[in-house]
Amino acid sequence: MSIKARATGALLAAILSTTAFHGAFAADDTIKVGILHSLSGTMAISETTLKDAMLMLIEEQNKKGGLLGKQLEAVVVDPASDWPLFAEKARELVSVNKVSAVFGCWTSVSRKSVLPVFEELNSILFYPVQYEGEESQRNVFYTGAAPNQQAIPAVDYLMENESVERWVLAGTDYVYPRTTNKILEAYLISKGVKPEDIMINYTPFGHSDWQTIVSDIKKFGSAGKKTAVVSTINGDANVPFYKELGNQGVKAEDIPVVAFSVGEEELAGLDTGPLVGHLAAWNYFQSVDNPANAEFIKTWKAFTKNDKRVTNDPMEAHYIGFNMWLKAVEKAGTTDTDAVLDAMIGVSVPNLSGGYSTMMPNHHITKPVLIGEIQADGQFETVWETPGLVVGDEWSDFLADSKDLIADWRAPMSCGNFNVATGKCGGKGS
Amino acid sequence: MHTRLIHRFLQCLLVALCLMATDLRAADDLRSMVNALGGGSFQQNQKQIEALAKTGDPKIVPALEALAEGDLYLRKADGIVFIVRPAGANFRLIDALTGDDLGEEAKAGLEKVKVNNGLRRTIRGALGGLTLMSPDVNVRLQAAGTILRTPTADALDGLEIALAAETDGAVKAVLEKARAAAILVSDRPVEEKKAAVATVVQTGGRDSLSLLSGALASADESLRPDIEAGIRQIEDQLSLWAGAQNIWYGLSLGSVLLLAAIGLAITFGVMGIINMAHGEMVMLGAYTTFVVQAYIRAAWPGLFEWSLAIALPLAFLVTGAVGLVMERGIIRFLYGRPLETLLATWGVSLILQQAVRSIFGPTNQEVANPSWMSGAFELGGLTVTWNRMWIIVFSLAVFAFLLFLLKKTPMGLQMRAVTQNRRMASSMGIRTPWVDALTFALGSGIAGIAGVALSQIDNVSPNLGQGYIIDSFMVVVFGGVGNLWGTLVGAFTLGILNKVLEPYAGAVLGKILVLVLIILFIQKRPRGLFALKGRAVEA
Amino acid sequence: MITSFLAKALGRNIVITVAILLALAALVPALNLLTAPDHPLHVPTYIVSLFGKYLTYALLALALDLVWGFCGILSLGHAAFFALGGYAMGMYLMRQIGARGSYGNPLLPDFMVFLNWKELPWFWQGFDMFWFAALMAVLVPGLLAFVFGWFAFRSRVNGVYLSIITQAMTFALLLAFFRNDMGFGGNNGLTDFKDILGFNIQSNGTRSALFAASAIALALSLVVTSGIVRSKYGKILVGVRDAESRTRFLGYRVEHMKLFAFVVSAMMAGVAGALYVPQVGIINPGEFEPANSIEVVIWTAVGGRGTLIGPIVGAILVNGGKSVFTAAFPEFWLFALGGLFVLVTLFLPRGIVGTARQFFERRKEYRKAKAVEEARAFAAAEPQAAE
Repeated sequence: MSIKARATGALLAAILSTTAFHGAFAADDTIKVGILHSLSGTMAISETTLKDAMLMLIEEQNKKGGLLGKQLEAVVVDPASDWPLFAEKARELVSVNKVSAVFGCWTSVSRKSVLPVFEELNSILFYPVQYEGEESQRNVFYTGAAPNQQAIPAVDYLMENESVERWVLAGTDYVYPRTTNKILEAYLISKGVKPEDIMINYTPFGHSDWQTIVSDIKKFGSAGKKTAVVSTINGDANVPFYKELGNQGVKAEDIPVVAFSVGEEELAGLDTGPLVGHLAAWNYFQSVDNPANAEFIKTWKAFTKNDKRVTNDPMEAHYIGFNMWLKAVEKAGTTDTDAVLDAMIGVSVPNLSGGYSTMMPNHHITKPVLIGEIQADGQFETVWETPGLVVGDEWSDFLADSKDLIADWRAPMSCGNFNVATGKCGGKGS
Repeated sequence: MHTRLIHRFLQCLLVALCLMATDLRAADDLRSMVNALGGGSFQQNQKQIEALAKTGDPKIVPALEALAEGDLYLRKADGIVFIVRPAGANFRLIDALTGDDLGEEAKAGLEKVKVNNGLRRTIRGALGGLTLMSPDVNVRLQAAGTILRTPTADALDGLEIALAAETDGAVKAVLEKARAAAILVSDRPVEEKKAAVATVVQTGGRDSLSLLSGALASADESLRPDIEAGIRQIEDQLSLWAGAQNIWYGLSLGSVLLLAAIGLAITFGVMGIINMAHGEMVMLGAYTTFVVQAYIRAAWPGLFEWSLAIALPLAFLVTGAVGLVMERGIIRFLYGRPLETLLATWGVSLILQQAVRSIFGPTNQEVANPSWMSGAFELGGLTVTWNRMWIIVFSLAVFAFLLFLLKKTPMGLQMRAVTQNRRMASSMGIRTPWVDALTFALGSGIAGIAGVALSQIDNVSPNLGQGYIIDSFMVVVFGGVGNLWGTLVGAFTLGILNKVLEPYAGAVLGKILVLVLIILFIQKRPRGLFALKGRAVEA
Repeated sequence: MITSFLAKALGRNIVITVAILLALAALVPALNLLTAPDHPLHVPTYIVSLFGKYLTYALLALALDLVWGFCGILSLGHAAFFALGGYAMGMYLMRQIGARGSYGNPLLPDFMVFLNWKELPWFWQGFDMFWFAALMAVLVPGLLAFVFGWFAFRSRVNGVYLSIITQAMTFALLLAFFRNDMGFGGNNGLTDFKDILGFNIQSNGTRSALFAASAIALALSLVVTSGIVRSKYGKILVGVRDAESRTRFLGYRVEHMKLFAFVVSAMMAGVAGALYVPQVGIINPGEFEPANSIEVVIWTAVGGRGTLIGPIVGAILVNGGKSVFTAAFPEFWLFALGGLFVLVTLFLPRGIVGTARQFFERRKEYRKAKAVEEARAFAAAEPQAAE
């Protein structure tokens, strides 16, 4: 008699019984929404907030009467910042819990890990974080910013308003910074910046000793030309980076740092006094002054029972994505994936920066771009914004291999990487 | 003669009247100019500030300072601009020019005059010109420094007047340099510029390099060789300093490693417990600091500068107590099975992380630097940040304290006795279980006070400890298990090695190289830098 | 008869486990593919791929048990060998995508295209052939283990020092693979696989086949390790574990013994990794995390170190627990997992299987002792009665 067999049997039974347990709820009285954000591990620091935001949005919607006459039910799982576990949990949400849509992921690698699952099981993922682009998948809606909705306007702002001529592109060595920096490098050179006036620097995840790099930045900035730093440094490493900047006396007035991954949440762990004037580019700031945002912030503070909790851009992305999904489901009259996928394109909902965001055929959305300066109270003050909305550009025009590609998921084309030069849908290998 | 006098008198009167009139008109102008800041775009405001600066009137200083701080507000009803101070739910209005208190007003009726980097820079330049003659030495020093950073030809006259009147040596030196910098961007004759280059080169440093390279672009032919030679000279100096700078960074990284590892040198090095929860002890120390600061901010804001000093003993007690509970509850059952301590402490580490996450939330907590831990000072060509310097001092102090405790006190004697030969120690009447418990508590407590220091440079989040645990083990093993001096030397060696490699190999590759070197080093000396010798080693 | 021979060579428990694994390898795919989804005996694809993954973890834990349980080498870097095997398989799967990638480049994987690589780096050559990739999945970890072990064991790096440098090794590899310049896809790693050996990687058939392959690989490895452990060589290994110096003084080349076990173990870990990647669909530097290696140690310890079956039980149990807890108590599961580790070390120091075995042995001994006692009592009673 093997203990293993017994143990396996017991475990199988346990899993099957949880399946049955969840299955019992799957009766048609609720519509289930999956929430796939890490609640432990390295990414918990950013993702837990999004889980809470989703729970709040679902609760609010239920107060308004739910969807299609049914209540919404959130299914929360913890993929624990473990990328293969993301795929396992996504599969569990879709095939065991039978959720109608999943809101989740933060890092690119977690998204890449779950993509095949959503494709195979034909379900829907809403991805709320700014990312590197170069992707458009049938089952994914990208509600965060593509590089053209964040990076390029920020660089434009610095060139025009601060007459920056010399650039430090500093990032964590992963795909988002790499791609963004490639795009920016090509863009800057097309604007007449000399290659020797661009310095690119990559650091490991969670880098905490920034002395050398900050002093390199100071050195690079002492060539007599106005210098700025474009930071794609990832979440956790930012606090020590900014602390070092502040302590080494790099002032925003001398060498401004514009960041794409630093929001209100990251600043909450910092004394922002020495950082006033450093910049960030987002599509939303908590400080945006309009009634919808005020209401959102109020609800959020009440929901978390914490007056100090801040809101940030990915939360707004979930807000937009969730409302778009609600609208599309209502339009389709069902939560059936194919019908919702069709109904999503063209759906337009209010965003929190005072306008409307629309889902485009490439599964990216239109957004305003805001440039904000860090204030002493840890908030951003908008110093510039795009006059209109910017359409997310999934395949960058500044990369040689992607400039000919477009994505359009509407009926005849239905392709995520259509090559306009050859007239073929690349992904189908024809 | 008489007529002449009368004539003279009338002339004076006329001038005086004119002056009064201009003064009145100027005040009027000033007010409308300040008010105009309310509605303008950044570009318009920039011009407006430059115009205000041209008046040279010190009355505008408070308004400009308030603008830079973001305390300048526009009353929407009548377009008047005020300086505001927060007063509960309202704002207290202060006249922008006279400084009179004008009572309170609801926030809703006021709109902030926005400011960005460009404006702040302009304001700083303007204030620099306006405050050069201030009676306060520090203000003058700051003003001179400001002009030095953004020299303009316009500032030159003001600088020369100020220089003539200046009595303070330090201010004078900065003014001299600022004057030279301003000359370089002015249209003064080449000879004067050459002298200016010499002045700038003589003072040296990174900012001089910046000034010269800036000037190089627009310099005419006869000046170029001078500037280029100057740049080379400064660069040579700087490259000498760069070596020292790397060593300094290495020392600083080494001190961080030492702090992170020194508690582990006790629990792992001396006691042989593979303490995977060590990082979490560091984290608990950092969170203690956070709680102490939050409490102080709420109850006694005046004590804030002392918050770290208050947090130190508390962090020691908190983490020491957690360590004590861990030892009594779990680890004491595992003596003699070191590998199993790895499992149990790993479990404890997961629990502690999740507990902190449940209590404080998963996000970063703000731990502020007291003012004596912020900023930097120049030491020759080195920029030394205060927090790094204090952390080096602190890490050495902790090391000295621990060494004293272990080598010179009866308790240390007992600890060493128990770890070297438990049964013999027990026979001599030492209560070994309590010594074990206290030793583990001491190691944990030391990790806790390391957390207080690390909270000053790193994230305070539930993941804090995870970032240090591997490095800590590397340091202890590299230095030689069971030897405090090994930990000290190991930490600083690895720190310096890392920082010397980083400029050449980059941060990632540098770290990989250090790891490979550790692996190779262990082949050469399988028991670390300072190996224990003798028969007990095999056991 | 063959069974009885195997039972002698391998031990009864091993034979039973191998039989169960082989039965699972046949039965689970059959139940997945041949029964209707609403059939009571149907095994959903979700369970198939989940347990397929667990089986590869079990193989990894078994590999660790060979060096830790029988040779006393606590490797805190075993996940590195697993990940290397995984990368070898991942490279094959990447090459199989061919022109079906986003950019339609027939030769270069997507991540190379958008990082402007112009040609395939030399170390990617040959990975379009399955046999080559499969060979590499075993050879590369084996070679790394050989080089690493050769130096470490020859220098007599022992105990915790060895553990820490294996950790340094996996950490260095983590950082290296994390670098985009290395040409392994950086932090995103290798993903977006399409098919394996011409079969669609997402189809139920392929998943079932991979499950069966994992089960069979585990069964084979169990036979191999059991063979090693029960051989004369295995006895020396245990000698090395329990008294290294004494074994050396007896004239054995301890470092060779250790090196052999270490290399075999690394190769098994490589196989596990190669089977793992097509089932989870991604391989990235996260697999090199030192924490992952520590987890492997924990599975082994929970199941029972030095028992061969224990690590398999431990890996499946801990990972199954993780799967259930992360869904059932997403906010508190770490308490449960952490608590489990503490409790197991405190109350089941020999792990689950070890403790069970001990229990049975004790009972046997107790019975034997009781029988002896009774006999003695009986014997003692006789003369008394005679008196």
